[in-house]
Amino acid sequence: MRYRVLAVIATALTLGVVAAATASASSHRTASHTLTVWLQVDAQNGWPSVVAAANTAFQNSHPGWTVDVQYQSWGDHLQKFDATIAGNDTPDVIEMGNTEMTKYMAAGAFANLSSYKSSFDNSAKWLAGLTKSSMFNGKLFGVPYYAGSRLVTYRSDLFKKAGIKKAPKSLAQFVGDLTKVKAKESKVKGFSPFYMAGTDWYSALSFVYDYGGAIAKQSGSKWVGTLNSKKSIAGLTAYKKFFKATAAKSAATLNEANPAPYTVFSQNRTSAIFGPGWFSCCTGKKYTKVTGQFVMPSHTAGKSMPGFLGGSDLAVPGQSSAQTEARAWIADFTNTANEKALQTVGNIPNATNLLNNSVNDRAAQQSWFVPTAKHWVDVENGNILRTMLAQILTGKLTVKQAATTASANIAYTLNQP
Amino acid sequence: MGAAAGAVTPRPRQRPLNWRRTRRGSVPYLLVAPVVAVLGVVLAYPVYSLVRIALERYGLFELIRHHGVYIGLANFATVLHDSVFWHTMLRTILFAAACVSLSIVGGMLIALLLVRVSGFIRILITSGLVLVWAMPPVVAVQVWNWMTNVQNGVLNYVLTELHVGNYFQHNWFASPFSQLAMCAMLIVWGALPFVSITLYAALSQVPHELVEAAQIDGAPFWRVFKDVTLPVIAPVVYILTTLSILWDFGVFTQVYLLIGQAALTPANYLMSVYVFEKGFVISDYGIGSAISILMLVTVAIMSVVYVRKMLRVGEVT
Repeated sequence: MRYRVLAVIATALTLGVVAAATASASSHRTASHTLTVWLQVDAQNGWPSVVAAANTAFQNSHPGWTVDVQYQSWGDHLQKFDATIAGNDTPDVIEMGNTEMTKYMAAGAFANLSSYKSSFDNSAKWLAGLTKSSMFNGKLFGVPYYAGSRLVTYRSDLFKKAGIKKAPKSLAQFVGDLTKVKAKESKVKGFSPFYMAGTDWYSALSFVYDYGGAIAKQSGSKWVGTLNSKKSIAGLTAYKKFFKATAAKSAATLNEANPAPYTVFSQNRTSAIFGPGWFSCCTGKKYTKVTGQFVMPSHTAGKSMPGFLGGSDLAVPGQSSAQTEARAWIADFTNTANEKALQTVGNIPNATNLLNNSVNDRAAQQSWFVPTAKHWVDVENGNILRTMLAQILTGKLTVKQAATTASANIAYTLNQP
Repeated sequence: MGAAAGAVTPRPRQRPLNWRRTRRGSVPYLLVAPVVAVLGVVLAYPVYSLVRIALERYGLFELIRHHGVYIGLANFATVLHDSVFWHTMLRTILFAAACVSLSIVGGMLIALLLVRVSGFIRILITSGLVLVWAMPPVVAVQVWNWMTNVQNGVLNYVLTELHVGNYFQHNWFASPFSQLAMCAMLIVWGALPFVSITLYAALSQVPHELVEAAQIDGAPFWRVFKDVTLPVIAPVVYILTTLSILWDFGVFTQVYLLIGQAALTPANYLMSVYVFEKGFVISDYGIGSAISILMLVTVAIMSVVYVRKMLRVGEVT
């Protein structure tokens, strides 16, 4: 019995020591000054050297500080961020998609950066589209990180083999080119001349904007869904026709996360993919030398199809206790040298004075963006557009039926209080 | 007076006896007290929070300020007037019913097989089952994702090579029905080990003489199983069914990961996913809490029927 009592006391003591050690460890962590940064995996895969350069610069100017970069995925980073808000344990810097910013700025999640704007390189010439996504009620809550236009990434060897020498000037010509490639590669199992995930709305809705349509427009204080307008329906019909003629049928209900289009490309299953410019990074060692890019042509000959101008901003959560350091790290991360490095891997830098005449920058001149509404991110996460595209491509609903349903859902979501 | 005098004598004896009895009687309560205390902390507070948030307007704005606004039963009214809620509820009940029946029937078949095979084969099968049981759901989902991959999945390859049909680049997640069917298969696959091993243990408790007697009387296999074996193992079957209902009604990990956030729509929501989408994705924690409470009540009602049956069967046996 005495031994049992001793054992209980020993266990209690051990637990106490462990608890104390954990407590001291966590306070020790604070004392050693760690700056927690949440970036998307795109940086980990595409430009890790830029992150490393920023960390080195920051640590040199802030002795005693370490940077803990935690990579997140687009699918669930907001839920994780909300959990940290609830637990008062937010990161000090967070990368936000430009379509995600408004909801969080409206709720007051981020620190106001207006008075520090000039401390960031090229801030006077930031891209208008990205700056707009970082502003709410005239105040600045984010720093533009980079933008990404949509391009066609293609296999130049397969195009040459099919006798195609120049980038297509119109959508019809592009379909013709892809048909030629298909004929040449008919013996390759599972090959489709073009690959895109059917429900990839970032790419698919370019057809809508190409035909003069739009997702929604503001009428007074209300949002009105416009995917069922004549022009939008013409665009969606053109998308369906293009997809049926060139893409793999099995991809109709897939999304771009699984499988990634560049993986399909690297496995010799397609000759062209449509997506962010940085897709060229991962087309496979075997095809690096025969990977080319051009701007998606419009249905109007000689013009390019408007591409979705995606992008990211960097924000400092209001709960962060290291806001000064967070701003300093952002300034290091988005300095001119790093932005130029981002440009070399296929991104659009955050300022107009850094643009050159690359295919990316040309694509960015014709672009579209989602409605800047507080609840837009709920439309995205509710997969309203993906559902509509799957319904259209599988023929479950007609283009008009699917577009009308989606349009009503979008208006309902955007007009929530 | 006599009675009073009689009562006087044993008094000194009775006092310590009563005290002892009280002490002895309180032992079970003392033993269960730590568990009750722990449950109180880990369950009561979250449930209190859940109910409180369900009665508040609690979105991202309120989350940042850590303070909701009391709105009474408005969240419940919103949910109960939403057709998505009712569709999701019905879909979840059907989904859980399918998973539970497949798990119990499949588990029973494996258990019956275990009784009949040799010791060596039994060890092989049991090891296989334990390996499945030991695999965390997240890992299992990843493996299933690879196997069913539209481009390079082994399932498409094997089915095509076996000339079952042309499954080249077949998308196993093309429609809400096929998405949920794939999830159900994964869930049943994960549940089979526990169900079959538990049922095997129950089957080994069935008295041999009873089975033998029935067999000598010429009862066919099905009759022996229905009238001799099943009544003996019925309490275990009821426990397993109740547990499976609880697990399968609230299943989240497999469904969320296998279908994937980008493919989740009101057409394939199950209750747990619906709660997650409303609560965490849209950041409407008040609505999310209200749905959670409604879900809790539904599961409680469904389980009560089985628990009552289970208790009755237990009494008879």
